[in-house]
Formats: sequence, C-alpha cells, structure tokens
Amino acid sequence: MVLEATMICIDNSEWMRNGDYAPSRFQSQADAVNLICGAKTQSNPENTVGVMTMAGKGVRVLVTPTSDLGKILACMHGLEVGAEANLAAAIQVAQLALKHRQNKRQQQRIIAFIGSPVKYDKKVLETIGKKLKKNNVALDIVDFGESDDEKPEKLEALIAAVNSSDSSHIVHVPPGDNALSDVLLSTPIFTGEEGGSGFAASAAAAAATGASGFEFGVDPNVDPELALALRLSMEEERARQEAIAKKAAEDTSNTENKDHASSSNNDSVMAEAEPATNVTADDKKEQPKDDDDLLQQALAMSMEGGASGSAAVADADMAEAGAVDPDLALALQMSVQDASMSSDSDMSKVFEDRSFVTSILNSLPGVDPNDPSVKDLLASLHGQGEQEKKEDKSDKPEDEKN
Amino acid sequence: MAAANTEAAAATAAAPAAPVQVPRGQVDLVDFIDWTGVECLNQDSSHSIVNALKQIFRDDEGLYLASDSDEQLLIYIPFMQVVKLHSALFKGPEEEGPKTVKLFSNKEHMGFSNVNDYPPSDTLELSSNHLVENKPVQLKYVKFQNVRSLTIFIEGNQSESDVTKIHKIALYGTTVDTTNMKDLKKIEEH
Repeated sequence: MVLEATMICIDNSEWMRNGDYAPSRFQSQADAVNLICGAKTQSNPENTVGVMTMAGKGVRVLVTPTSDLGKILACMHGLEVGAEANLAAAIQVAQLALKHRQNKRQQQRIIAFIGSPVKYDKKVLETIGKKLKKNNVALDIVDFGESDDEKPEKLEALIAAVNSSDSSHIVHVPPGDNALSDVLLSTPIFTGEEGGSGFAASAAAAAATGASGFEFGVDPNVDPELALALRLSMEEERARQEAIAKKAAEDTSNTENKDHASSSNNDSVMAEAEPATNVTADDKKEQPKDDDDLLQQALAMSMEGGASGSAAVADADMAEAGAVDPDLALALQMSVQDASMSSDSDMSKVFEDRSFVTSILNSLPGVDPNDPSVKDLLASLHGQGEQEKKEDKSDKPEDEKN
Repeated sequence: MAAANTEAAAATAAAPAAPVQVPRGQVDLVDFIDWTGVECLNQDSSHSIVNALKQIFRDDEGLYLASDSDEQLLIYIPFMQVVKLHSALFKGPEEEGPKTVKLFSNKEHMGFSNVNDYPPSDTLELSSNHLVENKPVQLKYVKFQNVRSLTIFIEGNQSESDVTKIHKIALYGTTVDTTNMKDLKKIEEH
C-alpha cells in the first residue's frame, strides 16, 4: 500500500510505428500503460496517475495526476504518432507536474516508456537523474524498441543516478512473442515495492491462465497460495540468474560460465525446481552443466506423475501421503526424484532442514504433521539426505578435477 | 507553557548537561505543526524529517535527519494556525551539522530550483557551538509575525561533506490569537 503519485511518459514518436512488438509498438505500449494505471490506482485508493506524451507537438501533459481511472484511459485514445521524443524535457515536465500534487504525502514516481533512440549524452541524463533524486522522485524506465547508440547503457546510467534505496527500476524488453504488458507483469514496476498487490496477483494469474495451459502446472484459481509461492520462487531465480550473468560478464576470462548462465535462463520450469533463496552464485558455478538437463527431466517426470494420479509412486508411504493431499504428494515426489537424479540437488538440502519441512507441512491444509505416517516419511527423507551428503563428499574431488 | 515545560524535561532526560532554555514568554511550536503537510526534499528515506522534528524522536541521540544525494536539505513546515516565530534551535553533530540555514516564511511549493528566487526572511550562520549547546538562536522577530508555513533551506554543513545530519529542530514562538473555526457552534434555529 504505497501512497504514490505517478506520471507516465508515453513515447509517441515516429519510431513507434514499427511492428516488431505485436500488433505495433504503440499499441503494445498503450496496453502496458493501461495495465500499470490499473495497478497503481488499485493498490491504494488515494494513488493518483497522470499521463503525458514525449513526442508529437512537443512534450504535453494529457492528464494531471488523478485517481479517476476513466479519465486516464480516455486520454490514451486518438493519440497521434509523430516527430521525435524529448526525454529530458519530458522527465522535467513530469517532475513539475508531480511537485504540484495536491496530497503532499504521496511519494513521487515517473514511469517512462522509451522506444526511440536517446539522443542525449550520458552526462546530461545523469544530471537530470541527480535532480530527480534530490527532489525525492523515483523513476521507472521501460526500455524497448530501438537499442542503438548505447541506449541501454545511457538509461542504466540515468537509473543509477536516480536510485536511492532501490526505489527506481529499469526493464529491458526485447522484441518477441510476449506482449509488452505480459513482460511487465512480473517486474517491480508493476508489482510495486512490496511484491504485488491483490490486483497485480490476480492479473498475473489471469495472464498465466491465458497463456498455454497453466504456468507451473498449477491452476492459480484453485490454489492461489501455491501459485504465488511458485511465482515468487521464479522471480527469485530470475534475479539470481541475472546476478550470475552479471558476474559472468565481469569475469571475462571465464567464458564457460557465461554460456552456462544464458543457457539456464531458458525457462520457468527450471526456476520451479530450485527454491533459490540460499543458493549462492558460487554453488552454481561448481555444479556440472548436466544438472540442468537432469533437473528438467526429473521435473517432467514428476509432472506426468502428478497428472496421472500416483502411478509413478513406488513407495508405500508416499502413496499414503498422496491420499491425504495431492499437493504434498507431488512435492514429495519431486523431492525424492530430484534427490535421486541429481546428487548435488538443493532440494534435498532443503528437506534436510527439519524445521523448514515441518513448517511447510503445518501450512498445508488437511495435513497433520504429527501423523505417524508423515513422521516416518520425514525420518526416511532425513536419512536419505544424510546418505547423499556422504556420497557428495566422495564425489566432490572428482568434480573439481573436471 | 505546558508544552515548553515537558520539552525541557525531555531534553534534560536525554542530555542532562544542558536543558533547553526556552526564551521567556515563548512556547515550543511543535504542537502547532500540521504534520500532514510536512515535507522534506533530499532526505535519506531511512533517516527522515520526523527524526528531527517530532517530540520524542528528536530527543533521541540515535535518530537523526540525513541528506541523501548532496548536503542540501529543504524542509517545509506548515502550521495549523498563524504563529509568531521568535527563535529556532538546531542540534547536530559537530562535523556534519548544518551551517548556512535560510528561513522563508509563507512560501509554498519551493524547490531547490527556486530557493534563490526569493530573499530569505532570515539567514543563520550556525557555529559548532550552536549545534552542541542546545541553545535557541534568535531570529529577526519582525520578519516572522504572521507565519502560516515555514520553509527551512539548509545550504551547507560545517565540514562541507556530502551528508548533512541534524538531530533536532525546535521552533519557539507564540501563537497569534485567531478564531478557531472548530469552536464555533451553529446557533439552533427556532
């Protein structure tokens, strides 16, 4: 529930006629703007949103910050595309519009969509950025479309100058099948600082349903908490992978690492396999490359198992647990398979942590952690984990040789 | 005077050496600040203005207001009723405490871009003694006879470093007797 006044800067320059973002850059941008306006006004009833254009006949404020969503959406219609965008002027006009907001308690934020090339110097942008920071204005940038002339670097520099206590964000959206608004759904620009309002979550869920099947094989409408947990873990994984990629880029001598990071960036399925909270970048480095394939294989198997009841379940204990709660069974199944397939799996480490497992069991509906069958199962899991630990130790020297 | 007394007592508890000497006939104006309108530009969000201005926080040595991107700070304080401002107290660390302080009365919507557009109602040059001593600095009383809001622009600090820190800001003066609209009662119609 951040109390915010937001100005959204729309890019309506000639560059927006391009069709590399379906249906056109301008249309997909308009969709994204509508989405963000909705999210901002829903997250707090006192939030206000204003809209302005950066090109056309100069920088123009279409709506000063208002909480009337109809007004905001209406102004988007009949916008003319033309001329060139003036980023520096737009940001300063937006800042002025925010300065004269009626409710001084609102935090100030500018969201800029930038699809055309940036003609300004890095230095000029940094000066503007510092000015914003000094006036307590946060800045979010959606970078899409053109990327020539060091545009991403310039925008990164601008964000770096504005950012104080991680309130400003930048998202680079390359052209592709995904609509601009879909990409924004999982970014902090849309979800806000506290990681997603109710509206954001439901919109994200709707988007997930709209895409082919369910995003994680879980219907978010049936089990919203599980879906949210999966989504969060995916976001963490994505952040972690970005960090790894960055590290790899810095470490130019180690080119193999770079490949690894980019190859593991491929799918959300991966993200589900590892709750990435306590995995350090170093861990990842040491893991053999085959792990990814193994994990995916294991996941695919576990998904099939989940779909066709408990056919793949060999263990009697697991079958019992399955009768109690299919979700639990699925989770356990995944853990066991992960453990057997990849000796280095982080999943098994997680299950070794008894208190963590107990807390999970407690949170699951209809599961009694004191149930003797569940206890047995836990004990067996724990034993398994320890065995593997020993195996790991004997394996590790070999890994290092490789 | 009740407010001033409690203020003095609180200060004694925090810093037993020097209780605040409230000027004779003046009161602490903290009770008349309109908190919903208080604004501070360039503050570090984890060391915000309330640390220096609110009654309890400002006497806590561990809490302070800090600047963020450079040493300047711009504080806007509206009052709930018209006041006369007599003196102000600034307390801060010897090194990073404020030095040049400009005060503007009744200037709404000021930003860093237009601080030089108006002549300040008063300018203070604080020494490190002022910052440590807990002693109010007298202002040009005639310039602050009809104050609805006060803007404090802190231009620099003692050591000219990038971060300015302030432990406490206190304002002393008197309220101008005005009609409190809330006290008016509608006359019953016959």
